[in-house]
Amino acid sequence: MKYFRFIWKNVFRKKSRAFLTMASIVLVLVLIVVLSSLLEALDYDTGRTKGAANIVVQHATGLGNFMPLAYRQKIEQIPGVVAVAPQIWFGGIYIDEKPQNFFGQLSTDPEVWATVHDDYTIPPDQLKTWQSERDSFVAGKQLVDRFHWTMGQRIQVRGTYIPGTLDLALRGVYTGPDESNIFFHNKYLENSFLGRLEQTGIFYLRTEAPEKVPVVCDAINKMFENSDAPVKAMPEKQFMLQFTEMMGDVKLLFRSIALIVLFTVVLIVANTMAMSARERVTQIAVIRALGFRRSQVLMLVLSEAVLLALLGGVAGVLGSVPFMWGLIGIIKHTPVAMFAYNLKISWATLLTAFTAAVGIGVLAGFVPAIRSSRISIVDGLRRVA
Amino acid sequence: MAQALISIEHVSKAYQRDSMSIPVLEDIDLKIDTGEFVALMGPSGSGKTTLLNLIAGIDTPTQGRISIEGRAVSSMRETELARWRADHIGFIFQLYNLIPVLTAFENVELPLLLTRLSKKERQSHVKMALEIVGLADRADHYPRQLSGGQEQRVAIARAIVADPVILVADEPTGDLDAKSAGEILDLLNRLNTEHHKTIVMVTHDPRAAARAHRMLHLDKGVLSSQEPAAVDRSRDGRA
Repeated sequence: MKYFRFIWKNVFRKKSRAFLTMASIVLVLVLIVVLSSLLEALDYDTGRTKGAANIVVQHATGLGNFMPLAYRQKIEQIPGVVAVAPQIWFGGIYIDEKPQNFFGQLSTDPEVWATVHDDYTIPPDQLKTWQSERDSFVAGKQLVDRFHWTMGQRIQVRGTYIPGTLDLALRGVYTGPDESNIFFHNKYLENSFLGRLEQTGIFYLRTEAPEKVPVVCDAINKMFENSDAPVKAMPEKQFMLQFTEMMGDVKLLFRSIALIVLFTVVLIVANTMAMSARERVTQIAVIRALGFRRSQVLMLVLSEAVLLALLGGVAGVLGSVPFMWGLIGIIKHTPVAMFAYNLKISWATLLTAFTAAVGIGVLAGFVPAIRSSRISIVDGLRRVA
Repeated sequence: MAQALISIEHVSKAYQRDSMSIPVLEDIDLKIDTGEFVALMGPSGSGKTTLLNLIAGIDTPTQGRISIEGRAVSSMRETELARWRADHIGFIFQLYNLIPVLTAFENVELPLLLTRLSKKERQSHVKMALEIVGLADRADHYPRQLSGGQEQRVAIARAIVADPVILVADEPTGDLDAKSAGEILDLLNRLNTEHHKTIVMVTHDPRAAARAHRMLHLDKGVLSSQEPAAVDRSRDGRA
């Protein structure tokens, strides 16, 4: 501790250089915090407990193919299944094709919707009204806030791969882990333009308990394995991971960017430390002459690098919080709004960023520190300071 | 017969440049007693600073033995030598070599960081050292805020703060005007007479050398003569 003032003063020996180096660390740490948080957000649903008892059934060949709706009754007979909701992704256009106007539109069975989505909350009277009106919908609170919809307001959504336009009235607002979708009646599709529904995109179902999920999945898969439309039943979490797995390359890209940037800042800080140590050869020779040991010189120079990186680290971690708030605010108005709900800075991310800062300091300071500790006193004193 | 404080026996030093060995000092024999003030003189390249560095324990001889207070400094390991330097040697350089980011107080405190003294004890030692060199009122000044003479006095305070037995001074007045040089030499005389420091000083200046008890002449690495100083002793209180 008695060396702290000496270390501190040497760090700020050239103030502008120290602040510029710290600024580069701050930027890198903000980037690392943002990228790490995005990666965590992409690993959707990891913290949910209520959804752990849910299963999604899709066509074995992928989401592009539909399954017979008649499977529903058979699935409902499997022991452990509480409720089954057939759902179709409408994929329509609201207002225009601008990304900020995109949201998920899913047809479902309102009678079992609340049962299968047990982690959503909706006032009972709103649920009842929605269930009783076929041309109505419920929407996530975030979506309602985003478009400033009012109860009873009608919206039109133009179909893309499903022909026709939805014309629906808002009858309910739900809150939950993902508030970026609207849900409307399967019957509405049937009555309006698809004719009698015989197929569905997915079955979304709830089991009695998370322990039942593997058994029920096996039972469903076996039940239809020899049919014309074999299915793939999986826990909801695994279903969501399919989408993030599609983004596997994006994750790899994020990680690569983070590593490259981290490596670059190590080089920047190492260069700063090397310059600083080179400029102080005489000073280091003097303190060695005064009795400082090689190991003490090594620790002093290394401590300077770590202190510089730590100061940048603290500023970077603190700076990343308002930055993330701003980013979440922006993402909430984009097609990937669902990520905004999972996008938060975890303590683990902050700890990672802080560890990265210490790592930057140690890696960057190590070589200059070793070199400084090896300076010959006689040669160092011979130089003109 | 009392043992000399500094005993140099058959010391040679050669530097290696690529495959060439360049001799700097040859077969030096020298004894310096406690409380002596010795001036090392000689032309550039004669080996004065090298001999001073060997005495101070920042360089090691190629041959021979250097003992200080009976301990063989020339055979100490590096870590041991560093600790020994901190306890026994005070350095005074031509260009002062103060740490520019530290105040006068912090510069003087630097050698004490290596000791087990408490913060309070360190403060008291530093204050005393600065008082001895007459700069107690400049403790908070940075080197850039001091004149050359004042900087050298701070450097002297740094050299004496840990109460070493020996002060080694390499051209301590070489970068100063005549007035400041005189003040520094007065101070060295005072440290020698009042505080009983043994001083070994390298100098080109005959007037500076005249303040010493003994002048040693080096020429091409060989100690050519040892003579008592005969002039200008009037200001050290010994005349």
